[in-house]
Amino acid sequence: MSNFEFIRATDIHSACSALKNPGYMAVAGGSDLIVKIRNGMYPDLKGLVDLSGLEQLNQIRTDENKVIIGSGCTMNQIVNDRLLQDYFPVLTKAAATVGALQIRNSATIGGNVANASPAGDTIPALYVLEARVVVTGVNGSRKIPIEEFFISPGKSKLEPGEIIEGFRLLLNKTRGEFLKLGERRAHAISKINLAVSTWNDGRDHYRIAMGSVAPTVLRCKEAEEYLENCEKISPEAIARAAEIASNTARPISDLRSTKAYRKQMAGVLLSRALNKLIQSA
Amino acid sequence: MQNNLIKISFKLNGKQVESEVLAGMTVLELLRRNFRLTAAKEGCGKGECGACTIMLNDQPINSCLKLAATLKNDDEIISVEGFNEDKLMNNIQQAFVEEGAVQCGFCIPGMTITSYHLLQNNPNPDEHAIKQALSGNICRCTGYRKIEAAVKKAADRRHE
Repeated sequence: MSNFEFIRATDIHSACSALKNPGYMAVAGGSDLIVKIRNGMYPDLKGLVDLSGLEQLNQIRTDENKVIIGSGCTMNQIVNDRLLQDYFPVLTKAAATVGALQIRNSATIGGNVANASPAGDTIPALYVLEARVVVTGVNGSRKIPIEEFFISPGKSKLEPGEIIEGFRLLLNKTRGEFLKLGERRAHAISKINLAVSTWNDGRDHYRIAMGSVAPTVLRCKEAEEYLENCEKISPEAIARAAEIASNTARPISDLRSTKAYRKQMAGVLLSRALNKLIQSA
Repeated sequence: MQNNLIKISFKLNGKQVESEVLAGMTVLELLRRNFRLTAAKEGCGKGECGACTIMLNDQPINSCLKLAATLKNDDEIISVEGFNEDKLMNNIQQAFVEEGAVQCGFCIPGMTITSYHLLQNNPNPDEHAIKQALSGNICRCTGYRKIEAAVKKAADRRHE
């Protein structure tokens, strides 16, 4: 798998220029890409542009009322970040379930999103935090709401010559839960995953998103609105919200799971997540 | 441009080293072929089994999933061979032997590196912490009981 060029990017602009060439791909952690290259999925690969040396992509920083998570931040960097733990626990919990320790030390959040897998674990977390994807090309940057970023499995709005520079989140203290079901409890690709975040600014807000239940990750706005209009999150309210989530899911059967199981588990996971949030309140 | 060799320099088991690699070469291939360090093994080649685990800047990674060309000057790699004189690693290895945790041995370099990282960061891991830490290392000979017992023993012995 060596018949291609390797470019160490020294700045974002030259990285984007190189990526404009047909057959050139960006590599950061490489944990997915290298396996795919080995499996012959990119017979037309001409070159890899290594982004891992771009320091500004490897940082988590605040800018007034925003947090910018660089696309090159590894899962473990996110898991161990105090600010993220404090403000966006749904994201640190999601990152903690990706692969195993060794993978989390390589895999980046930018790679997880750029892959555009409906099962990508950080994606539902970024949905419920209403993150904006900062996409940069040779002509500058554009910000895309994460919900509008994905087109279909493996396809996003990222154009040739563009990279994900990072993710912008509003610095807003939330509580959150992330749950997933896989073949085993650790180191497994999700059959289904679900993220919930909640915050109170005088009234309770809920955000819910589910992965692996549609071609792209789904927001579950109906369940969110239902919960926001509940006087109290009673067991009955949780049961109703779970039912809505299950109805919102439109999964397929594939190699990892079945349609019926995923649909039912959408409700089960939401109910578990809400119960956890109530218990930890 | 294609098939050009890329010059890299990095720290390997305590020494600054240099090498020339092809774009698609992994760190695992680099260690085994260019440096004849054969403790890290290729099990699955896709980051599932952990047999290729090495330390990169004090963090365990799958060396089969990292391209050698991405190594930088200040990167430090330690393979099991680099821990030969390390007290904690010797303690872990001894505990693995005593508990009968080693059968075919293929997973052991990876198991011991991950165990080393665990005990460095958590001197008193409970069963759950041990299982969690080793979830990226697969052993196909035995169950994991003896391996878990060995890690526990190594942890207990450190406090004696």
